[in-house]
Amino acid sequence: MSAAARPGLSPVAWLLVGVGAAIMVAPLLWTLALSLKSNSELMRDTASAFGGPYTLENYRAILQGSVLRWLLNSFIVSLGTTLGVLVLCSLAGYAFARLEFPGRRALFVVVLLGLAIPEQAVILPRHQLFADLGLHNSYAGLILPGLTGSFGVFFMTQYFRAIPRDLDEAAMLDGASRFTVFRKVLLPLTLPAQATLGVFTFLGSWNDYWWPLISATRSERFTLTIGLASAQMNYAQTSGLGFLMAQAVFASIPILIVYVIFQKQIVQAMAGTASR
Amino acid sequence: VKRLAVLALLAGLVAGCGSRDPRTEVDVQRFFGECGAAYGRQTDLSKAEGECGIVTTLLNRFGAENRDVRVDVNIVAWPGYPQLSAQMAAGDPPDLVTMHQSVIADYQSRGLLEPMDAILAQAGVRPEDFTPAGRRGVTKDGRLYGLPWDTVGGLFHVNTRLFAEAGLMQGSKPVLPRSADELLAHARQFKARTGRPYLIQSQVNDPATHVRNLYSYLLAQDAVFFEDRKHIRLRTPEARRIVALFRALNAEGLSTTDQDNPAAIASFMNGQGGVFPTGTWMIGSFDESARTPGRPLYRSYAVFPYPRLFGRPAAFVDGHAWVMPKRERSPEQLRAIARLLGFVARHNLDWSRTGHLPAFQSVVESEAFRALPHRADIAPLAVFGAPLPDYVQRQAPIEGMVGEELAAAVSGQKPIDRALADAERRVNELLAQTG
Repeated sequence: MSAAARPGLSPVAWLLVGVGAAIMVAPLLWTLALSLKSNSELMRDTASAFGGPYTLENYRAILQGSVLRWLLNSFIVSLGTTLGVLVLCSLAGYAFARLEFPGRRALFVVVLLGLAIPEQAVILPRHQLFADLGLHNSYAGLILPGLTGSFGVFFMTQYFRAIPRDLDEAAMLDGASRFTVFRKVLLPLTLPAQATLGVFTFLGSWNDYWWPLISATRSERFTLTIGLASAQMNYAQTSGLGFLMAQAVFASIPILIVYVIFQKQIVQAMAGTASR
Repeated sequence: VKRLAVLALLAGLVAGCGSRDPRTEVDVQRFFGECGAAYGRQTDLSKAEGECGIVTTLLNRFGAENRDVRVDVNIVAWPGYPQLSAQMAAGDPPDLVTMHQSVIADYQSRGLLEPMDAILAQAGVRPEDFTPAGRRGVTKDGRLYGLPWDTVGGLFHVNTRLFAEAGLMQGSKPVLPRSADELLAHARQFKARTGRPYLIQSQVNDPATHVRNLYSYLLAQDAVFFEDRKHIRLRTPEARRIVALFRALNAEGLSTTDQDNPAAIASFMNGQGGVFPTGTWMIGSFDESARTPGRPLYRSYAVFPYPRLFGRPAAFVDGHAWVMPKRERSPEQLRAIARLLGFVARHNLDWSRTGHLPAFQSVVESEAFRALPHRADIAPLAVFGAPLPDYVQRQAPIEGMVGEELAAAVSGQKPIDRALADAERRVNELLAQTG
């Protein structure tokens, strides 16, 4: 439906939407305002954030630490995880949707069961396994756990299932191998799903805190979330509130950029319409 | 050309291997935040301020004075115990770690820490020189499991201008209560004359506030509330007396009730109440405010240990310590660690500028320490301050549970007896799971 044809919202609806938007935006603006005030001033009165003087001192303090290293680590880990998830989930999704092999249904059920198991339930054996393999404090150690995404496999399987089999058969009649059919015919059709899965995987990996906290225990392998937490003083919420808020703003900037670029896919996924 | 390039690469690799750092490496892991921007190259301790600034400068200074030792500092997110546990599980813990004295039992009881009697002796540190509070904090099963660095505890931060307005000053000294009844009387008088609450308390999302009050005044009554390592006992007349007092203060509007820690700090700094019971770590901020003309606290700040309301002077304290996780170390590394421990111990006065009390009696008694603002008034805390018994594990989660129940009791949401019974049950269930 085009924008012109879309029925207009009633004034009441506009009001409700406006109030909702204000409720959503207010904490973000408050965070931004606090980040631009000095810590000592905020310790006396946070209401001082409503007026000047404002300062970039908190942002300067962030940039003078190891933050660029942590930013790079977060990019490497998030991109590595995202690429890995897309490759593995596409292959697995195709296999579950199209290939007949013994135990396929049982294996798919096992994958689905993975959706019900929280990370905390497996974190101890996983930590021990990675310790035995010497993978802690390495990029591999941070990326590998993120690749085992049951949701991604399920998501891609459902997407492949929705693509008519006629396309596969036509390509195979033309002499295409099964892998060629996957790579050249079906994979391009799944790009919207891949974009959605990729965005969510990237966001999840970027914001991950618990696993990097216990796997990356050395500063040179900290991701941004862990690095920023380590930079906080013990009483950050009282004597370093401005710095704390500046960290929150700084950490959210890359995510904001990702959101702006992939806004369409994210909204589609949220609306449950991420289909062809 | 290709062969030459390969040879050059190999030569470079061999040269790289040959230039390995010959210094003895010591892995230090600490909390207190990161402040490399301000103190990354600072070695002059007189120019360092705050926990982060002082610890960073201290380690820089050690590195500058000990060129044969490379101190590799890893700064972890507060409080650093998930990371430390993970490192221990992976078999790669650091050489020296900052640890709260209340947490030592959790690791020591599982055999994860080295006893440090020998290395402290090698460092020239004598346990007889520790303050009573510091020594109690690191002694487990009769052995030393850490170098105590300070004593941290609750204090009565006082607004003397409002105290004067309330008629509660004697000369230049605030008059603090000497019994529970006197506390209530002072608080009522204060409110009647100033219109403000006597106590500013951080009671929202801050279990430590309630636990400090309870533990301190239980110790003052010589109550044995951890009978053994598996049981807490809170359904006692001593505990009921304390909770009833703080419930009465809330019920009569003599204390703030709806503030979290940042709000309570702001409230005290803006002169909205008489006494703010909070930790040693706030002295610096409040003192700075008291020295700044125009601020509500200007020339109106004093600080003392918790007043003696019951029994004898006593206060529950914790502290920071340097501990050594169990791991293989070379004799050179042990010597380097001993030097670092000795260095840290000798600079205990510098650390006490954070507001925390020194862990060495000679520093507590020194002129230099007593010349620091308010330190002479709070020094007794280093003597009568006491931690929980050395066998009590899981003190952090216990604080959370007891604090939640106490918050419910003093706010009137739960009857006192039920809250104490619930706290006792929850803690005992937790302690039953400990080894």
